[in-house]
Amino acid sequence: MPQVMIELANVTKIYGQGEKRVVALDNVSLQINKGEIFGIIGLSGAGKSTLIRCINKLEVPQSGTITIAGQEITKLKGKELRKTRRKIGMIFQHFNLLSSRTVYGNIAFPLEIAGVKRSEIKERVLSLIDLVGLSDKISAYPAELSGGQKQRVGIARALANNPEVLLCDEATSALDPETTKSILGLLQDVNQRFNLTIVLITHQMNVIKDICDTVAVIEDGRIVEQGPVVDLFARPRTPTARRFMKSVLPTEIPAEIKERALIMDDQNCAGKTVRISFIGDVAGEPVISSLIRKFQVDVNIIYANLDYIKNTPFGSLIIDLMGESQKIEAAMEFLEDQGLKLEVLNSVEPTA
Amino acid sequence: MWNLLLKALGETLYMVGASLVLSALFGIPLGLVLVITEPRHIKPAPVIHKILSTIINIGRSLPFIILLVAIIPFTRLVVGTSIGTAGAIVPLTVSAITFVARVVESALLEIDRGVIEAAQAIGATTGQIITKVLIPEAVPGLILGLTMVAVNLIGYSAMAGAVGGGGLGDLSIRYGYQRFRGDVMLLTVVVLVAIVQGLQSFGSWLAARLNRR
Ligand SMILES: Nc1ncnc2c1ncn2[C@@H]1O[C@H](COP(=O)(O)OP(=O)(O)OP(=O)(O)O)[C@@H](O)[C@H]1O
Ligand SMILES: [Mg+2]
Repeated sequence: MPQVMIELANVTKIYGQGEKRVVALDNVSLQINKGEIFGIIGLSGAGKSTLIRCINKLEVPQSGTITIAGQEITKLKGKELRKTRRKIGMIFQHFNLLSSRTVYGNIAFPLEIAGVKRSEIKERVLSLIDLVGLSDKISAYPAELSGGQKQRVGIARALANNPEVLLCDEATSALDPETTKSILGLLQDVNQRFNLTIVLITHQMNVIKDICDTVAVIEDGRIVEQGPVVDLFARPRTPTARRFMKSVLPTEIPAEIKERALIMDDQNCAGKTVRISFIGDVAGEPVISSLIRKFQVDVNIIYANLDYIKNTPFGSLIIDLMGESQKIEAAMEFLEDQGLKLEVLNSVEPTA
Repeated sequence: MWNLLLKALGETLYMVGASLVLSALFGIPLGLVLVITEPRHIKPAPVIHKILSTIINIGRSLPFIILLVAIIPFTRLVVGTSIGTAGAIVPLTVSAITFVARVVESALLEIDRGVIEAAQAIGATTGQIITKVLIPEAVPGLILGLTMVAVNLIGYSAMAGAVGGGGLGDLSIRYGYQRFRGDVMLLTVVVLVAIVQGLQSFGSWLAARLNRR
């Protein structure tokens, strides 16, 4: 059984009163396991920031409990709360670095706060700067850094007190795609290196797809869908989830392929254009060659694409199957038995 | 004449310097408390905030010349006299405290809320946030603001001369105006302008130098 690191039970957060009343979180319950990268995705205003800020009590929910490593943070106050917060790192969309301190000073800041000795601070900061790859920027001020470099400082600062949890509030939303990739790589690296539990919120599906193990979809303050990222891609249940998926998957078939007519050379043959979707390891198996050998059908590959959800391959393939009707049927059955999803796009019956 | 001028210059610098230091001593903490007790700041306390804000507004709305006279009993109580440079420092300080408080407020409100939140998320105490975040981040703004206070104090110190405080303002009125000494008048004006120019340039330069944003 995986160990639960963070648990939210029936958390409700309401802002304002009367006409201005907004239910930002509506009875939210979640479990986040130790060592996983947990993504929360939702549209603007869905309540993502509110949710993540409740985890370290930057916002106080009206009801419900939040437990981190067995400790109920919703009950903590003052000194106890501050001590627990040291074990929860946080990074932000706009980095929130101290403009008056250098890279070194910013990373040293949480250590000073925690009362670490000066000599130890130096050692720790230098190793963190090395970890995030900013050794040549050690005495630069934030204003002299690029967005990606600032976020690296943010990550180093968040890791300074060896936290068990890292909260990321839209950590890559202010960055270009290339820099986003490198920051996500760094997050994945620290996740594996320190078995760090990472909670990240985003409105970008590619962030979920690239590094998350588990995802929760939030809509109007409610979690509408939750589970392993691969499952969400394989079987999205809500329209919101489907919309987010579309943004990263080329589910639309190019028009040229759709409108393409199947022309058969042999009038005794049937033909079908089939789309095969797959997720997971099947991509590594020689399905197509077995198909040709076992069922004596002709296969013509029209279109193919392959991508990865974290480390799981997924993709789709469009092929023409040509041969005797029964053989085509049998071939399709075989493909479905392999765990592939089939969809017939076009079909031609023998004319002779 | 040069002796008179030098003496008056010394008195002005003394009055302005002393009241600047004293008003900063009281005004900076006052401004800090004003800011951190705001709703959604690090120590929200609406009642305290409202009371301080009202007091500061009253202080800011009194014209200096009226304040000067109105607090004479208080001045006597503090320094034993209401005239001379010592007698001028008290009203100058009192009027500048509320000014400093507002200057501190505007400098501190410039700081991005996110930076303060990051410190809270790290587990910093209120004291640590003040000393390690609010003040260091506000330094350039504070320097510019205090420069403004100092320039104002130079102007007010001339009025304080009216109650026998001495200084350049006093000199220009007694000699330049009442004894028709145009040369004294001109000279004091030149010196005053030079001081203000010098002070402002220095303050702006220092603030720019320390600004890392
Ligand atoms: N301090 C606040 N006072 C009042 N309402 C708030 C406050 N913070 C958030 N809200 C409201 O709560 C709802 C959820 O906001 P939240 O910031 O959690 O959304 P989000 O999913 O992070 O959106 P975004 O992607 O735009 O950052 C919104 O309707 C917002 O207007
Ligand atoms: Mg947000």
